[in-house]
Amino acid sequence: MTKSTEDIKQKRTLWQKIIDQLKPYLLALFIAFFISGIIIGLLGYNIFNAYQTMLFTTFYSRRGFIETLIKFIPLTFATYAFAVPFKIKFFNIGGLGQMLFGATMTAIVGIALAKYNLSSLILIFVLILVALFAGAFLALIAGALKAYYNINPIISTIMLNFIALYFVNFIATTAPWKEPFSGHPMTKKIPEAAILPKLFNQIHFGIIIVIISIFVIYFLMNKTVLGYEIKATGLNPTASSVYGIKMKNTLMVTFMLGGAMAGLGGGIEVMGVHLRLIEGFALTSGAQYGIFGVLTALLCQGNLLGVPVSAFFISILLVGADAMQRTLQVPVEVVFLTQAIIVLLIVIFRE
Amino acid sequence: MSTKTKILELKNINKRFGTVQALKDVNFELTKGEIHGLLGENGAGKSTLMNILYGLYNKDQGQIILREKVIEINSPLDSIKNGIAMIHQSATLVSEFTAVENLVLGMQRSKLNLNFKEEKKEILKLQEEFGLKFPLDIKVKNLSAGLKKKIEIVRAIYRNSSILILDEPTTALIEEEFKQLLSSLKKMVSDGLTIIFITHKIKEVLQACDRATVLTDGIIQGTLNTKNANKEDLVNLMFKDQKIDINASAIPLIELPKTNKTKEPVLSIEELTTKSNKKDKINLVDLNMEIYGGEIFGIAGISGNGQKELAEVIIKPDNIVKGKIKLKDKVLNGLSTVEIFDLRVFYIPEDRKRESILGQGDIKDNILLGHQRESRFQKSNILRWDKVKEAAKETIDHYQVKTPDENKEIEKLSGGNIQRVVIGRALLNDLDLLVTHSPTAGLDISSVKFIFEKIIELRSKKTAILYLNEDLDELIEISDRIGVIYEGRLVEIYTREQFNKHKIGSKMIGG
Repeated sequence: MTKSTEDIKQKRTLWQKIIDQLKPYLLALFIAFFISGIIIGLLGYNIFNAYQTMLFTTFYSRRGFIETLIKFIPLTFATYAFAVPFKIKFFNIGGLGQMLFGATMTAIVGIALAKYNLSSLILIFVLILVALFAGAFLALIAGALKAYYNINPIISTIMLNFIALYFVNFIATTAPWKEPFSGHPMTKKIPEAAILPKLFNQIHFGIIIVIISIFVIYFLMNKTVLGYEIKATGLNPTASSVYGIKMKNTLMVTFMLGGAMAGLGGGIEVMGVHLRLIEGFALTSGAQYGIFGVLTALLCQGNLLGVPVSAFFISILLVGADAMQRTLQVPVEVVFLTQAIIVLLIVIFRE
Repeated sequence: MSTKTKILELKNINKRFGTVQALKDVNFELTKGEIHGLLGENGAGKSTLMNILYGLYNKDQGQIILREKVIEINSPLDSIKNGIAMIHQSATLVSEFTAVENLVLGMQRSKLNLNFKEEKKEILKLQEEFGLKFPLDIKVKNLSAGLKKKIEIVRAIYRNSSILILDEPTTALIEEEFKQLLSSLKKMVSDGLTIIFITHKIKEVLQACDRATVLTDGIIQGTLNTKNANKEDLVNLMFKDQKIDINASAIPLIELPKTNKTKEPVLSIEELTTKSNKKDKINLVDLNMEIYGGEIFGIAGISGNGQKELAEVIIKPDNIVKGKIKLKDKVLNGLSTVEIFDLRVFYIPEDRKRESILGQGDIKDNILLGHQRESRFQKSNILRWDKVKEAAKETIDHYQVKTPDENKEIEKLSGGNIQRVVIGRALLNDLDLLVTHSPTAGLDISSVKFIFEKIIELRSKKTAILYLNEDLDELIEISDRIGVIYEGRLVEIYTREQFNKHKIGSKMIGG
């Protein structure tokens, strides 16, 4: 066999591999859209129009695309919050709480630092750290409870979600933070210097932070000793422990890493979108980013490189869902339904 | 065997896994009331054949004829209905249930009465009859592997099985337990049971079986009457088409060459007493021993007498209540595993799949495990994957691991090849001390020989080797000294001249 034909053969097998990998996804998508198509039809809407709106609103207009990116940012962070601890086979359902806590602390510290007139660069840097640590701290509680008292993180993270949720309400309705003349619970605005700058006057700087985070997470998990130890622990905790990897530390650090991502996502929402802490800010189209993170992570089976892809896909659907409701009066819940069916089918096909 | 009625016949069984022909035109006959050995190396197809008979796999081709009737077996349920029972290498009992509950499970007479008085009487009678004693009312999880095996055998009888398949039943048993089991099996056979005895040990076949069928690479090599056969005949059958020198691989596998030990001990353990808060762990009590460089120190004992605890306390000495562990002059008490590995120590645990490898990781991931913080593989916490790859490639070369490349998922390799990677990892650096627990368990002769050679090579480099093993024959073969561990105490130490299987064996059971 000559070299070139061998090359072609190898390329072909690579394509084959990619197609094999994608098969369950495509099949799941197809069936899910088919099922929700029936439902849309039964509800009396035009199926073709509905799908067109759902899938292509993002690409029709510049606005649609920006809208998608704005949803993509927090969703990616929320997805990492689940996907990173999933590497050691633990479920962090606390992405929501960690995101809320990150946002709350960002707002508190931002408002508190207003009087010092810090330069924008320093203030944003400090607030990013605050958001990271706040999310990490909340996740650490769940990690430590698991490490030292063997409490299932599913339970502890759900409980911590409630704590974070009510903490938002407390801060948003209590002086000195609350906005006195607002009907909806929210805090005062964060200082001007803390607001993330806009790129091309359109999309806030968070998009750069999210891209950096994608690289950092990839590097951390694949190229560092810590990442290796997390991977090893996920693959076989017993063997890892025998060979000297400290279980408790690894577990807690992994949770902190996931929590930090969610916290950062929350902080960026405050600094880039709402410019203050608003009760219920972590909602989009009636669904919570934190909870969607779980779904998005399951969509890519916790594959860290798949996280942005799957987050972008879900963002397209979310934007499409909004548009569908606006223009066709099709309820957004149909999209959630489709998403749920997709995830369910992917899980089934991959087994 | 006065009446030679054929009870079971397997005809032209074929089975293929992907590109591998696991069984090729296998014909197999079973006579009522015999113990029939199924002998072959790892991966020869013994378990595949029996799993087909038991319904865990579906055959591609062939017939199963039971009592002159062709039957279809598609699931274990079918085989159980036909009176075929299989006892796997590891116990399949509900560990939270007692022995009685396990036996009765699915067969209870009353849904309301959970006393099992009637059933207990019956079970006691069976125990009496066949000499298989085990406690009835203790949760199975608290029982030893040997007792579990007995429970499973009695369960098969209790459920009126007529054919019993035993898959490597002696893996977890010691000599004495095996002898006991054997006499029970003989009684059962004279009572009408027929037994298929899967093993890769020639000795067991000669001891236990009436006839034996040899299987290599999915092909039946022949069936022998063991009464008038000897070891040579079986070895000849097993290696019929291989170029392995039969004499070299016949027991003993190796010669232990003479070497000089170091003057000072490498490892010394003084008055070591441990305390574990885990219920299933044995505590070590006042344990004293010294291992010199260039010495293989074997630890003999029945499984679960503190072997694992001894190995683990050396690499993770965090539960010591009294005494010292010293490596040369350095006290190890309280150090972490990583710190101890840095002192040129490494460990090969007993349970390959569970404790030793990252199953879904590739060979690189597995080579790195335990070395990930060494300066050769990382620089300020950034891994140097190129170096890891190099080390993995060298290991594959040097230890003749059969794999396409270093990116292969390790659990896709055979047991022998996995163990070669594990040993390569352990010997990546020069060592002062190697702690290794049953490194040859479940491997075929050529892999065992390879591992012995590596360990002896290490010995000649003045490494101290702590060799824990439940297989006394193997220990006698390879050890310079043997210490017997019993209930957490080191009860006796023998030098090579004093080795005597009977004496050591009786010490192992507390004699």
